[in-house]
Amino acid sequence: MSYLRLGLVALAGLAWFLLLPDYRTLGINLLLLAGWATAWDLLGGWSGQTSLGHAAFVGLGAYTVAVTGTSWDLAPWWGALLAMALAALLALLWGKLTFRLRGSYFVLASIAVAEILRLVAINERELTGGAIGLFIFDLKEPFGLDLFDRGVEFWLALGYLILVLAIAAFVTRGRLGYQMRAVREDEPSAEAAGINPEAVKLWAFAISGGLTALGGCLYGIVLSALQPQPLFEIHLSVRIALVAIIGGRGTLFGPLIGAALITVAAELFRNVFAEANLLIYGALIVIVVLFAPSGLLGEVHRWTVRRRYARGARG
Amino acid sequence: MPAALEAEAVTVTFGGLTAVNGVSLVVEEGAIIGLIGPNGAGKTTLFNALTGHVRSAGEVTLFGQRVTRLPAYARTRLGMGRTFQVERPFEGLTVLENVLIPAFLHTPDRREAETRARAALEQVGLSDRALQPSSDLNLARRRRLELAKALALEPRVLFLDELMAGLNPPALRDMISFVRGLADSGMAIVMVEHIMQAVTELCDRVVVLAFGERIAEGTPQQVTDDPRVIEAYLGVAEDD
Amino acid sequence: MEGLVPLLQNVTGGLLIGGIYALIGVGLSLIFGVMRVINFAHGEFVAIGMYLAIALFVDLGLDPYVSLLIALPAGLLAGWLIQRVVLARLIDSPGDSTLLATLGLSLVIANALFLLFGAEPRSIYLPYATATVNLAGIRLPVAQLIAGGITLAVITALWLLLNRTEIGRAVRATAQNRLGAELVGVNTRRVHALVFGLGMALAMAAGVILAPLLFAIPTVGSSYTLKAFVVTVLGGLGSVPGAIGGGLLLGVVEFLGASYLSSGYRDAYGLFAFLIVLLFRPQGLFGRETKRV
Repeated sequence: MSYLRLGLVALAGLAWFLLLPDYRTLGINLLLLAGWATAWDLLGGWSGQTSLGHAAFVGLGAYTVAVTGTSWDLAPWWGALLAMALAALLALLWGKLTFRLRGSYFVLASIAVAEILRLVAINERELTGGAIGLFIFDLKEPFGLDLFDRGVEFWLALGYLILVLAIAAFVTRGRLGYQMRAVREDEPSAEAAGINPEAVKLWAFAISGGLTALGGCLYGIVLSALQPQPLFEIHLSVRIALVAIIGGRGTLFGPLIGAALITVAAELFRNVFAEANLLIYGALIVIVVLFAPSGLLGEVHRWTVRRRYARGARG
Repeated sequence: MPAALEAEAVTVTFGGLTAVNGVSLVVEEGAIIGLIGPNGAGKTTLFNALTGHVRSAGEVTLFGQRVTRLPAYARTRLGMGRTFQVERPFEGLTVLENVLIPAFLHTPDRREAETRARAALEQVGLSDRALQPSSDLNLARRRRLELAKALALEPRVLFLDELMAGLNPPALRDMISFVRGLADSGMAIVMVEHIMQAVTELCDRVVVLAFGERIAEGTPQQVTDDPRVIEAYLGVAEDD
Repeated sequence: MEGLVPLLQNVTGGLLIGGIYALIGVGLSLIFGVMRVINFAHGEFVAIGMYLAIALFVDLGLDPYVSLLIALPAGLLAGWLIQRVVLARLIDSPGDSTLLATLGLSLVIANALFLLFGAEPRSIYLPYATATVNLAGIRLPVAQLIAGGITLAVITALWLLLNRTEIGRAVRATAQNRLGAELVGVNTRRVHALVFGLGMALAMAAGVILAPLLFAIPTVGSSYTLKAFVVTVLGGLGSVPGAIGGGLLLGVVEFLGASYLSSGYRDAYGLFAFLIVLLFRPQGLFGRETKRV
């Protein structure tokens, strides 16, 4: 069933590419945000661990590709693999240390970790170029494709989103996905069902972080001029989390819908609000929390579950 | 042949308080052991120590294997199942999904897990409610769901924490014969219970706890006649 | 004695800025202690205070230390309203609802400030406040001294309110046990609104005091929110005296770390301390029991 919807996503991407060539950069941002949010949701929605530090993975991805590309002349696809491995390691260490923290403490710790990485990126000038940043001048071309061409980047971003969705679909429909939800709902009950909550959360974090970092690699290439602030800042982490929450945590397509909705709305409101279009994020999250706590798609999902049972019971 | 469950000198302390003090018991396959005692005697704490939800001193072995240092999920993987006194369904998931989760213990395959889950639902009579949100169930059905979740684990030792509480007479009778059936199929059962009807009809042996210590053990009849037990419950020894 | 002067300079500087951190942290700790709410918008309340002082200074020529008298009641009222209209509905909501609501609030406020004031850094130039006083070889900026004095006064007033008045008793009762307080007749809903108002007032006061010391940009709020978290975790979430200790400690750690280790990582020292305390002593350095979040 969801393969059909994945196909629809691909088609929509194709349509955007063909019909709106002037908006390709916007499209790339939308696709990346949707991918990051879907990856975030594996930890934040399905496993119930709200992280406000996921920008750490974005920055890690971007900088790994940039640093290995410029210093070691490493092809970006190897750089991306390295970035994902580093991201998974970071997630494991980070999770091992902080999963024992209850609820909001975990959120606070996640903010601190991302902040620390941002400060490292600013201060370690030798490695990262410091506050001035790094420039990616040229990259190896896979199959002769110019990675700095917006069209190529769009397809890569679309491919990234579809990959993330596919992995998320695979994980959440299988055993790990159910275990993640059990851990989210009730840890002692999950333990009594034979689940090791820490292991499940670590898996979720590693997959989530790795996929986010992959998007970060692409983002770095798209930007080609990397600076610590926009890549590690808390506002990016917050955007990723809020998009997933508004769209619907714990649903496969909720984060995508959230990303699409907010990116388009922010663009429309840009004329009115200029740089302050993040106001929309704030207003929407308050509305969602008050009136639709499961997010847009989440509320729809809850409604359909009830209806499906009611119909079944009557029939 | 090792007993299904053996507990030796299990002791649980919280801060300065000793909730369970040196309790030992043995449960054979297919046996039903009752755990009774006045409120605050330490029954649930002992329960949690045996199932691994609480740390304890002493030794606990499952089919000859030492599990004392193992956390709850590891003991579950070795054949232990339990219900919670206050049911702990996975809210936000349907009945079927609730039982699917423990069913995944023995298989990574979704379809096979679903088959086992549906079988467990069939056993407790919740098949028609498979797609219902678990948060919508009434007490009796929540109780049965709790049981189904434990049964989906295919446990060899089942811990029941006040399974009979709050059930009306027909539901109680059904549950009693259901538990009898489980034991007959070879499952070892340890049950904390206040409902005396269930204790007398089901238990092969009863262990009585008071103030964290085992004060008596025997058949239900022996235990209810024991003056020490009566004193523990009523606070006064009966003089003949 | 010579070698001690730079050390004392750092320590005093740290204590003075730490006092302001304490003021910010106390509000957050109070809100958490009584309402179990993690107020993500706390830094933005500080920012509101800063911009309020700037606006009153620029438009009406009001000295910021006079604006304080406007900021305090304004903060009280605004906080009360926010709690009543938004947060009160989420009191029994699951998990991170209030966290997300205050997060949303912080975004709305930060962006509203951007719309109103633009992105250029703003500040208040007070000629008398830029002077420094020399005390035994230690240079103390007058503005910071005034800030320290006001902080002391405000915290003392808060202490008196919490410990010597009926209202204060109601607040402390609600912090210990909401249900118990209700049972003895405390209107906990009003207490919650009051406490949130107090927290906002304190934060805004800190902002007013900071206006002559620093530049204000609309995004300054989030860094103060983070600082406030560090302070309250160091001191123990929910503990007012702990927040004071935590604030002072953070100020000193920042100054010493920046002087003796690396100034680029100034903000990181607090964050490291924060993580270490969270992981190994979650009740805080000065707290006693573990607070469940």
